[in-house]
Amino acid sequence: MTKGDGRQVLMVGTRKGAFVFTSDSGRRSWKLSGPELKGNETYHMAYDRRSRTMLASVSSSHWGPTIAKSKDMGKSWKVSRTPPKFPKGSGLSVARIWQIKPGTDDDEGVVYAGVEPACLFRSDDGGEKWTVNEAMLNHKTRKKWQPGGGGLCLHTVVLSERRPKRILIAISAVGVMRSDDNGETWSFKNKRLLADFQPEKYPEFGTCVHKLAINQSKPDTIFQQNHTGVYRSDDAGDDWKDIRNNLPSRFGFPAAVDANEPERFYLAPLEGDFSRIPLGGQFAVWATDNGGKEWSKLDSGIPKTSYFTVLRDAMVTDQGEPCGLYFGSTTGQLFASRDQGNKWERIADGLPPILSVSVSSA
Amino acid sequence: MIRVKLTAQLKDWTNGVSSLEMDTVPDLQSMVRKLDARFPGIGQRIVDDQEKIRTHVNIFVNSENSKDLQREMTKLRDGDTVHILPSVAGG
Repeated sequence: MTKGDGRQVLMVGTRKGAFVFTSDSGRRSWKLSGPELKGNETYHMAYDRRSRTMLASVSSSHWGPTIAKSKDMGKSWKVSRTPPKFPKGSGLSVARIWQIKPGTDDDEGVVYAGVEPACLFRSDDGGEKWTVNEAMLNHKTRKKWQPGGGGLCLHTVVLSERRPKRILIAISAVGVMRSDDNGETWSFKNKRLLADFQPEKYPEFGTCVHKLAINQSKPDTIFQQNHTGVYRSDDAGDDWKDIRNNLPSRFGFPAAVDANEPERFYLAPLEGDFSRIPLGGQFAVWATDNGGKEWSKLDSGIPKTSYFTVLRDAMVTDQGEPCGLYFGSTTGQLFASRDQGNKWERIADGLPPILSVSVSSA
Repeated sequence: MIRVKLTAQLKDWTNGVSSLEMDTVPDLQSMVRKLDARFPGIGQRIVDDQEKIRTHVNIFVNSENSKDLQREMTKLRDGDTVHILPSVAGG
């Protein structure tokens, strides 16, 4: 069932600030506010329902990255005085905050941040003060970690209410790591993930995960868009199975799971690593209803010529019934579907390059 | 004493203060630490996690860019004027 009254809040992070779109209860019309945090690269946004706080990863080309918080749904923002910061002597400095993830309901005040160079930070006060994850910072393999095209970034954090001590993270181009003890220890979870750009095709680490996604009702089933394929795991990452099947390409970045149908998974395939453009020049979302056995193309309402680039954090599903789906392009178009991707509508055009799209029920 | 002049872009961190005097400190790194003690958070805007001056921030000592001197370890002397400015990026 749809949470609340059906209204959705889209948080759109762009190269030049944050935009917030609020829908009516039917998700048919959208009211725009913003930009806020003007001029600042707003890389990722999240809504912390526990504290009713909007969080944003913002970065100034001059003054560096930080976290901003809003208590009034994006109308005004307060910037953290103590953002994620590597300890002195580590030789590392936060270049970008890729992901903000509010903790589970039982972890009052806990927020996670994934940063570049790859590491996890934790806040226990809702995003004001941050502590580096020492186990990841000092991981014995860290010196061998190599960056992907976007940098050595921890870009995805997956949590589950049903697995409160588990943290799954994804690093390009290191792979998936899992902690089952709230981040005290980490293990790689990259079994049978192809890394055909490496001398060793199935390494313990050094795979190029692009995005992870789960449905909260099945927390052990993880879907993954990788540089080299599309995978699922039914044991929280212990093992992975290639589910590309009839998909036209193994390559892409965004990934999302339907809120109501845990075997319905959405992707946006691209031609391949060296061109990174939509297949045939038309951007399309592809979906499976059966966990990856078969895939179908969802392009109704998307322009026939649409060389869109949709970044890994710029496609998201809402909690509505039927599930809504949204994507934003680096050419500033924002599209929405209120019927699981079957019909798309452009709800905004001419925005700055869109870096991320997040959603919460209002 | 040294005089520190700050770009208006940092006014959110300084409650609007754009110019101030402080007791002479040995170098720019010490000056940034002292600024941060007075205006919490401003230090990390000027320098990175390892206290290196950010790439697109310029700190001038009198009229000399510290990047042509000893960067954050540039020595300061009584009577110096320090300007903290954004670099001209792009264009």
